[in-house]
Amino acid sequence: MSRDESKLLYAESHEWVDLAEEDGKAVGTIGLSGFALEQLNDLVYMELPELGRELTAGEEFGEVESVKAVSPLYSPISGKVIAVHEDLPERLEELNDDPYDFGWIVKVEVSETNSVESLLDHAAYQKQCAEAG
Amino acid sequence: MMNTRTVSAVSAGNRVGRLISLAAFGAAENMAIDQAILNSVSRTGVPVLRFYQWAEPTLSLGYFQGVAARAAHGHSDSICCVRRTTGGGAIVHDRELTYSVSIPVPASSAGPRSVLYQQTHAAIAEALPDRGVHAVPFSHTGLEPRSEDKNAQFLCFQRRTAEDLIVSGYKVLGSAQRKSRTAVLQHGSLLLCTSLYAPQLPGINDLLSSQLTAEQLVPQIAENLSKSLGIDWRVDALSSREEEDAGHICRERFASSVWTERR
Repeated sequence: MSRDESKLLYAESHEWVDLAEEDGKAVGTIGLSGFALEQLNDLVYMELPELGRELTAGEEFGEVESVKAVSPLYSPISGKVIAVHEDLPERLEELNDDPYDFGWIVKVEVSETNSVESLLDHAAYQKQCAEAG
Repeated sequence: MMNTRTVSAVSAGNRVGRLISLAAFGAAENMAIDQAILNSVSRTGVPVLRFYQWAEPTLSLGYFQGVAARAAHGHSDSICCVRRTTGGGAIVHDRELTYSVSIPVPASSAGPRSVLYQQTHAAIAEALPDRGVHAVPFSHTGLEPRSEDKNAQFLCFQRRTAEDLIVSGYKVLGSAQRKSRTAVLQHGSLLLCTSLYAPQLPGINDLLSSQLTAEQLVPQIAENLSKSLGIDWRVDALSSREEEDAGHICRERFASSVWTERR
């Protein structure tokens, strides 16, 4: 089933998160928005975090390179990395076509202390992108 | 302490930035200073333009390059090596001028700052002497874009991206960026003369029959960048906090073989 981008939450730094229950756990699936991928323009490298790493909301969890620019990826939520999309760095050319399904980057088991209040809903995120031009 | 001497005429509405020029440091120190400046600009929002050279010939690897790829370039295998935090290919820093410019950006910005590549490269092109041969961005040369394979070559100066500065078909200036949440660092290298450690790459003096030095170029580039970025540069030095930060970053990262050989 395709992920509905209008139901996702977004960080100001353009990562999306899909919060859902998987196997009785609260899990956040994280990726990069279509807008960010358009701006990044031709990703050539991506570095992913290790399984089991504990992330704090706002912390860098990976990096990408495009047009000789290295940009960090920031985790929108806190929790432990329980899955990593290992194939993704070798298939970056497919990312732009499907940022919300194929383009998932990591899954995080959401920590109990998580707060998503600082994240944007789709409408607010669209507004931010429109203002950024 | 900020010096009040400005490099360019102060214009109404311009922001004030800091100009740090033109010392030579070791490889790890140079990269650590650029990182400390990026951290500083992230905190303060005050732009910094820095010009520098290298205490000894150095190969800098792009952030994602594997150190084993050095085997592809035997001319530089005897010189010291440092890994940058910025992207792109490897650069032999020898008979060249390196600049770095760090500016604040909105936290919501994404991707490379193409306009910064364009503005800095235009400022540098305009500072070069007019010998009837002009330095132009690769995208203006009419040359075919390089194939993916050719653009994965080991040396930055053997690759071509749209904003690379080209003279007579040769790349003479290449730059790369590193983003933090609220600032971007762009540094780049202008080849002045061919290096023994990269004999396949001519510099501007070879191509323009000139004898320009870094010292001659810096004031004109700074003035041009003042106009294009709308920033009045005030001559300054690293703050004690930046020096302390750079020392720490140097030890923990750039001087460490774990960092250099991480890929």
